[in-house]
Amino acid sequence: MNQANNMLAGHKQEILTELVTGSSKEELLWINGFIAGLLNGKELPEIAVPAAFPSRLTLVYGTETGNSKRIATEFAAKAKKKQFPVKLASLDQYRLTDLSKEENLCVVISTQGDGEPPIAAQKFYDHIHHNGFRLDNVKFSVLALGDSSYPMFCKTGEDVDAQLQKLGGKRLVPIRKCDVDFEADANDWFEEVLKTVQNRPGNLQAGLPVTKVLAETKANKKIYHANILSNNQLTDRGSSQKIWHMEIQAAGVDYEPGDSVGIVPENPLSMVNEIIRLTGIDPGKKLDFKDGEHTVQVLLHKKLAITHLHERVIKKYAGIVQQEIPELKADLKSLLELYPVKNAAMFEEVIQALPPQSPRIYTLASSVSVNRDEVHLTVEEDRFMVNGLRHTGLCSAYLSALQADDTISFFVQKNKRFRLPAKEQDIIMIGAGTGIAAFRSFLMERDAIGAGGRNWLFFGEKNFTTDFLYQTEIQDWFQTGLLTRVSLAFSAGITQEKYVQNKMLAQAKELYEWIKNGAFIYVCGQKAPMSIEVEKALLKIFETEAGTNAEAALQFFNQLKETGRYSKDVY
Amino acid sequence: MSDKSSIERIKEASNNLRGTITESLQNELTGAIHEDDQAVIKFHGMYQQDDRDRREERAEKKLERLYSFMIRLRLPGGFLRPEQWVAVHDIAGEHATGVIKITSRQTIQLHGIIKSAIKPTIRSFNAAKLDSIATCGDINRNVLCSSHPKESAIHAQVFEYADKISELLMPKTKAYYEIWLDEEKIADKKQEEDPLYQNRYLPRKFKIAIAIPPNNDVDVFANDVALIAVIKDNELKGFNIGIGGGLSSTHGNQETYPRLATIIGFTDTEEKTLKAVYEIATIQRDYGNRSDRKLARLKYTVDTMGVDSFVKELETRIGFSLQPAMPVRFESRKDYFGWHCNEEGKWYYTVFVENGRVLDEGTLQLKSALLAVAASGLANFRFTCNQNVIISDVADSDKAAVDAILNKFAIKAHTEASSAIRKNSMACVAFPTCPLALAEAQRYLPSLIDKIELLLQQYALDKEEIIIRMTGCPNGCARSYAAEIGFVGTAYGKYNMHLGGDRQGERLNKIYRENITEPEILSILDELFSAYDSERKAMESFGDFSVRKQWINV
Repeated sequence: MNQANNMLAGHKQEILTELVTGSSKEELLWINGFIAGLLNGKELPEIAVPAAFPSRLTLVYGTETGNSKRIATEFAAKAKKKQFPVKLASLDQYRLTDLSKEENLCVVISTQGDGEPPIAAQKFYDHIHHNGFRLDNVKFSVLALGDSSYPMFCKTGEDVDAQLQKLGGKRLVPIRKCDVDFEADANDWFEEVLKTVQNRPGNLQAGLPVTKVLAETKANKKIYHANILSNNQLTDRGSSQKIWHMEIQAAGVDYEPGDSVGIVPENPLSMVNEIIRLTGIDPGKKLDFKDGEHTVQVLLHKKLAITHLHERVIKKYAGIVQQEIPELKADLKSLLELYPVKNAAMFEEVIQALPPQSPRIYTLASSVSVNRDEVHLTVEEDRFMVNGLRHTGLCSAYLSALQADDTISFFVQKNKRFRLPAKEQDIIMIGAGTGIAAFRSFLMERDAIGAGGRNWLFFGEKNFTTDFLYQTEIQDWFQTGLLTRVSLAFSAGITQEKYVQNKMLAQAKELYEWIKNGAFIYVCGQKAPMSIEVEKALLKIFETEAGTNAEAALQFFNQLKETGRYSKDVY
Repeated sequence: MSDKSSIERIKEASNNLRGTITESLQNELTGAIHEDDQAVIKFHGMYQQDDRDRREERAEKKLERLYSFMIRLRLPGGFLRPEQWVAVHDIAGEHATGVIKITSRQTIQLHGIIKSAIKPTIRSFNAAKLDSIATCGDINRNVLCSSHPKESAIHAQVFEYADKISELLMPKTKAYYEIWLDEEKIADKKQEEDPLYQNRYLPRKFKIAIAIPPNNDVDVFANDVALIAVIKDNELKGFNIGIGGGLSSTHGNQETYPRLATIIGFTDTEEKTLKAVYEIATIQRDYGNRSDRKLARLKYTVDTMGVDSFVKELETRIGFSLQPAMPVRFESRKDYFGWHCNEEGKWYYTVFVENGRVLDEGTLQLKSALLAVAASGLANFRFTCNQNVIISDVADSDKAAVDAILNKFAIKAHTEASSAIRKNSMACVAFPTCPLALAEAQRYLPSLIDKIELLLQQYALDKEEIIIRMTGCPNGCARSYAAEIGFVGTAYGKYNMHLGGDRQGERLNKIYRENITEPEILSILDELFSAYDSERKAMESFGDFSVRKQWINV
């Protein structure tokens, strides 16, 4: 080896060292023969190459919703088929000290709505950002999962990609940023990774520029400018909540049951005007923004987030006004009142620091098969407390004020993981509150296309009299036989069971019967506690009705998930 | 006879009034019950209603109608012990709107009970030894009896008949206990064989009242069966029996009409009286019209058969001849407001309850007052057919304590300050819950009375006890056809005005003006009162004056 060291220059030596140290005896023998063959001018069949270069592949994933895990698992299986030695690990279970020993590190990681890493990846993320170590011998590539409707699209993936390179890692292939419908892009990326690993050593791509093509095409979602047809409250007088049904006319809109829409809310004008007054800025002054030039007025009203600002933004604000700001969450207006800017110019700096307004996602409550050129939404007033004061969510307040003939902009957000099965399949829909939206869409669609499968709806709400969302429609669907069964739970009494999970347990036998017969299960609504309790109930039903144990029940549940017979759309 | 009405088919198929009520209660999708069951539950003393004011708004919200149930108690003679009043008070607060409604037939009903609360309500009633069996539906309803014990030294003796008749005409089915009180299903159907009602019950509702002359507070002639106590020398001699009273009619249906009971004879023993009452019911069961419900009341059966044939059939069934009716004389049709004493020296305070609605409203804390009286345990409660309550059977030694409660809540001041016209007025429930209502009644009449009071004051007629009654439809629940001035709703805000009823309830009124609105009502009354003031004879009632002036053709 020493000879080689002396003979080969720089990177060639590196490659050779790597090649021979990473290879088994058999491989070395094969290499020996390969080189001898080259020297003899003899060609070797290409097909032998992958088998001859079994590079080690490490797939790590940081997941929140399970997407990263699922896709990484699929990759691992694919790589194994091609006879690569593969290590698969979740980032919260990955030994961080192994990092520098990795050969080919593939990171599949998602980004949370606010640009943060998934909780399971936080330790890894902090580790690569804070610890002084080098990854000079590591080749890597990042598959970033995200949602282009958020301004921090794939931020965590970008951070990881940049940091791994900073630590000396070499890119196998450039980072690939995927939107919510990530399957095709993700597979494409992994094909490239495999090809590159196979064709090593000639294809190392350290320091290649990040390609943004996909992100841009995906970020440019089709925006529909539409008219409000009606906006009616569904909850009755005396209800403790406000939920309403919106019908919006949007020519040519295309979506499938299970899809959502994203809506960028507008800030209240009164607040915008107050900010302009407080800062003395010229509202007509034009400033640059990512989608072009806009006046300050438009930026504050429609483009930038000015309420419930994140800690990160408050820190930037503190830096601009040169003050200590202890608040962790605040509105721009209150910041300006408590920690005023010196002048309009300083406020322009603040504007540059403000994050773009994020869209809010609402599951569609309609079906194009029935409501051509329309989207229907089920919106709940979002109420929460900040510092002991009651607040209403920006978007729900914005939507609630809209009236017939007002206009609104939205884009359609596909949700391929929440799709109706074939017509003849039975479905079980479990939801509470606004979770009914997806099922209204499902039922309308199945009614319209004449799906023969049976439909069973579990629905939970607070009060039968005031909160039974879409009651008359559900009654009609039951009467016409579209709904085979309807199981209701009202927490304020009326029904014996308070919550959907109680109702499921009360009807465990029939429910299990349906599932055993191949029914697809859908859960929509609140993530916690509803979907968690529903899953617990399902496991219990699987266990008791099948007369097995918890482990077998879990296995059965996992099987349902893997075969696409269990889907959820929870928030 | 033509085909049976659908209600007849439902009754027969109801498995002794069970229907599918249990399934209806279990249906979580709706606050309503199955359509057929809506006919069946009436026999259990309840009606399905909905808030008609809210229909449109709820439909827009994709919510069904705001269904609830009215439950009416069976209180023969309208009597409650104090602890029972406390129970009703609590139940009204827990399961109903909170308002306790005293009806025009001497009982109380609660409104706004949602489907899931029916069972708990009936169970609570049962715990207080109260039930709602047969207070609605095609069956003998709550039996009335002159309410004020000062009416006669033998009031108690007459009063007992109300209970006896109620028991005699109770259905034999155990459905009520099975469905609402979860009692075990009876194994042998023979146990509930019902020789009176069989499986078809009566063709229509069946009302019985007992009056003690000279006061006709129960409006005895408005009932299918009228029993008039004949008392001589403080002894109950027996009863004059009348048949075929009934006030409901249908707008635009000439075949329907209000009718007062026809006196057909006299019975002198309890056995004979009860037998006669029972067989009147069996004749109605066998001969009543079962194809057209609008022509199904006993009055039409009597008029179709002819009174003589009816009596002949009755005498065949009872196996004896009725004696000729004894002379009796009615003079009034009123409640004795304020304190009165009976023969035994017990005290009675009749409280004025406008339209029978017991609630705390503004400064008038009527519901709290009655609860305080009941909680003291010093008095029973009796309800009148004019929708008032008599604080009853107060010992002389307790009178001061009860008086103090009534004063504390200003109930005495309220009763005394209310005008004669207001105290003699009555309205049915109508909007928003009654499905039959065409126009407002109890929600509207008080404000109309405000204006009529002013008119009467102009002519210094405000002490006159003119009987004014209003119903929101022609079915006559508040007996507007037997009023001196009757208003019968024809459309929202419009009423037919009837004149010419007498003070004591022995003569019906007639239509004077049709489809009139409030301004017309007031201007017409102004003219009529003016004439009454200047032209009436001494002691001449407004009703009699209307007839003499030939404002209507009687």
